[in-house]
Amino acid sequence: MDSLIQELKEEIIQSLNLEDMKPEDIDANAPLFGEGLGLDSIDALELIVLMERNYGIKLNNANEGKEIFKSIQVMADYISKNRTK
Amino acid sequence: MSIFIDKAAQISIQQPLSNEWFTNPMQPTERLCKFSLPNFKQYLSPATSRRMGTALKCALSSALSCVPEEKRSNLDGILTGTGLGSIENTENFLLAMLQGEEGLSPSNFMQSTHNTIGSQIAIAFKCHGYNITYAHRGTSFDSALLNAIIKFKLKEFSSALVNGVDEMTEKYFQLFDQIGYWKDRSVTTDDIRNASSNGSFAGENSVSLLLTDQKSDDTLCEICDTELFYCPTDQRLKEYIQKLCKENDIHQIDAIVIGNNGDDENDKEYKRLCGFIEPSATPIIYKHLFGESFTMSGIGVYVGATCLKEGYVPAHLTMNNCQLNQLKSVLVLNHFKKLDYSITLLKSC
Repeated sequence: MDSLIQELKEEIIQSLNLEDMKPEDIDANAPLFGEGLGLDSIDALELIVLMERNYGIKLNNANEGKEIFKSIQVMADYISKNRTK
Repeated sequence: MSIFIDKAAQISIQQPLSNEWFTNPMQPTERLCKFSLPNFKQYLSPATSRRMGTALKCALSSALSCVPEEKRSNLDGILTGTGLGSIENTENFLLAMLQGEEGLSPSNFMQSTHNTIGSQIAIAFKCHGYNITYAHRGTSFDSALLNAIIKFKLKEFSSALVNGVDEMTEKYFQLFDQIGYWKDRSVTTDDIRNASSNGSFAGENSVSLLLTDQKSDDTLCEICDTELFYCPTDQRLKEYIQKLCKENDIHQIDAIVIGNNGDDENDKEYKRLCGFIEPSATPIIYKHLFGESFTMSGIGVYVGATCLKEGYVPAHLTMNNCQLNQLKSVLVLNHFKKLDYSITLLKSC
């Protein structure tokens, strides 16, 4: 799980161009949207693309995304249970 | 009514957001010269700029540098000329499609349109005024400028920001290379003065001009008028310039900004134009310092305006390598493949 969390942090930094941010700066339990990383709706689209491209997980329900993208820890739990890649 | 270029800013292959090119220019050495980048963090927060391509960041920075904060939301219009738009984002998006990626990045797609630049400036300025983008190849900037001037004449504008923005990617550079756009080596000032071969060298530019109907202490010059022509006769151009000079009480044009870029065919046309328009006027060159792009004519207007503000043309900007003093009027000429032409008249104020 720890390696998946680290991988996710690196992927998010790269995909979302979070300049000046390092994996160790991101708290795995902090909210991704609003407070915490402060991501927005366009980032949510990028995360959906990332989930599909890297882990073969298709999110069709927007409400589902709200739960899954709560934090990196929650994302990692979901990916480990549902990944096809 | 009068229209003034009140402020101007550029990011190009020269020193960014600076007039240092006027006295101490950098000498391009490559066939493809990329933007000389400013410290974006002075103008854009990392959160704002993280999804933006280079051209967009440069456009926003030059616009923010050009327009004082208190005037941004009150602008009547933001008009942008760009030949290639956000081509870096466009390429990223198309490349991902070609590679058969299942999920395409929304950011590249969203920022791949030409009018992303003007709209992002409007968002940054909180400006809800007129917003338009022209993508007319070599007269993209000129079209935006003409639109702005028409709006001033109609008394619909009292201030406007006009931008000319183009970046050049490696892939696009190679495509142009195949059709003879570029020389097989970089261009020197001597190549510009004595063009004898085909092709130029590529530059990148983001130029922003703040136009107002009120003169201020910072005003660079007055912009009398601009006009676009498609395949005009010499007579048509001559008559237009004579009328323009008469309306603006100009008896003699002191200098003509020309787009000589080292390409033999291109430069011969400027020589011919200068010959019948005003043979005694001093030709001002600038593409030997800034390179070639679809909207480089915006830099031409900026160079002419800066010379008028300073009151002279330094030797390194003239064809005869002699400084021209007591500058009062400047004509800016632009042609694209001897099809599209634009003429802009500037005068000191």
